[in-house]
Amino acid sequence: MDSYLLGLIAGSFVSIGAYSVLIGDNPLSKFTEHLYMGILGGFIFATNWNYVRTNAVNPVLQGNFIYIIAILLSVMLFSRLKTEWLWLSRYPVALTVGAGLGLAIRTTVMSDFLGQITATILPLNSLDNILMVIGTVTSAAYFIFTAQTEGPYKYVNKTGRIFLLAAFGVTYGQTVSFRFELVIGRLVDMLRPEVANYTYLMLLLVALGLGYGYRTKKIKWYKGR
Amino acid sequence: MSLMKKLLDLDQRIIYALMFIALAFPILNPVVLPMDIQEYSRVSFEFADSIPAGSVVLIEGGLGAATYPQGGPGLEVQIVHLLGKGVKIVFFSIGTETAAWTVTAIDNALAAMPSGVAAEDGVNWVHLGYVPGGESGVAAFANDIRSVKSEDHYGTPIAQIPLLANINKASDFTAVFWWGGSEGSIPYGIRQIVTPFGVPMTGMCTTNEVPNYTPYINSGQLHGILGGVRGSAEYEYLMDMPGLALGQAMATNFGGLLWAFLVVLGNILYFIARKEEGDN
Repeated sequence: MDSYLLGLIAGSFVSIGAYSVLIGDNPLSKFTEHLYMGILGGFIFATNWNYVRTNAVNPVLQGNFIYIIAILLSVMLFSRLKTEWLWLSRYPVALTVGAGLGLAIRTTVMSDFLGQITATILPLNSLDNILMVIGTVTSAAYFIFTAQTEGPYKYVNKTGRIFLLAAFGVTYGQTVSFRFELVIGRLVDMLRPEVANYTYLMLLLVALGLGYGYRTKKIKWYKGR
Repeated sequence: MSLMKKLLDLDQRIIYALMFIALAFPILNPVVLPMDIQEYSRVSFEFADSIPAGSVVLIEGGLGAATYPQGGPGLEVQIVHLLGKGVKIVFFSIGTETAAWTVTAIDNALAAMPSGVAAEDGVNWVHLGYVPGGESGVAAFANDIRSVKSEDHYGTPIAQIPLLANINKASDFTAVFWWGGSEGSIPYGIRQIVTPFGVPMTGMCTTNEVPNYTPYINSGQLHGILGGVRGSAEYEYLMDMPGLALGQAMATNFGGLLWAFLVVLGNILYFIARKEEGDN
């Protein structure tokens, strides 16, 4: 059995373990969660350590001492682990947040503010453009909470609410579709001809194991609604 | 208890089971329903198709274990598309896991590459791997690649990579393809590359994120977008390379039909129940 097939079978087993949480919380789903978190945590640590080693430690060893500042700031983050030294970690956090905010705000005005406003100023020569302008203006107006919803503003408010509900509907539909795609992505691998029999066997074992656990009350049955 | 009451109180695990069957059935018994190409996908494809040979483009590979089945097939086809046109590609990722999955996409694309296409590592493409720091990291990368990367994903020093000889900042690229998956990172590219450097960009995101990015498309900051499995399937279709995404898109259709039926049924039953309660 090659390592690729072994990976697919292991992936199938772990997926069934994770999906078993849909029946109710159980030892297998807990095991899968912990396994996933452990592997991911280890992988992220290893990859980031490799980056620090390559881009900060190695340059220092080669005489580029400016990177000592970066290493020092990184180490200061760990001071959170001891309450008395917690204050030390605030400096690298402040620096990171400050740099991030500064870099983001630098172009946010152009990309997320002016760009969007410009895109809304459209000639009213098509139904799409008319809907775009009315939808944007009325949806924004819906959030004027200091105005009384009476007079002409009442209709603006109601129109804005309709556009917002339509947008939420689209987002909900897309989210449902995304969840399907997550499941389908796993099912494609789990139901490959070379893996399918292992998947069915695992499903049977999980069903028997959980059935026994629920019957003997060793696992608490989740009653649903 | 009336049938209506039973249906309204249906255990959600029965719905899960029904959904599992609806999603698994088309995978076990492939069926192809008619599919129109969405405007956003067409624009994104035509944007990629318009890149002239010899250009160097930047691809952010943001697909992870959960999102690779959705976007991976599309990314693989796009790599084949671009390299086949003689376009050179620089890959990078802002996630640790996604950097590894980008390797999978490159490997699968190279395996599917038609013979005769130049696809040499370091010459026609290079994977720079993980760039940490989120948006700050993207900003630093866009301004000076060598300040954040000293070697590529495989450990080759940047100085030894011919493709990067004249490449060190975002303006050196003809275009950006941001395969953001569910990272929510497409705005990073818009804010740190498109706006300051004027490099045109298209991208891919998971289906649920498409509504978030449509304002960027309407404003011209994003040249179309490939949304989820369907976006990938459409890219496969437009490239005449049917693959995994097309089959998955059909399964999504079946799941969507069942979901829509359940939503409509639930609403009808709810309103009938409310009316009956009102009558009593």
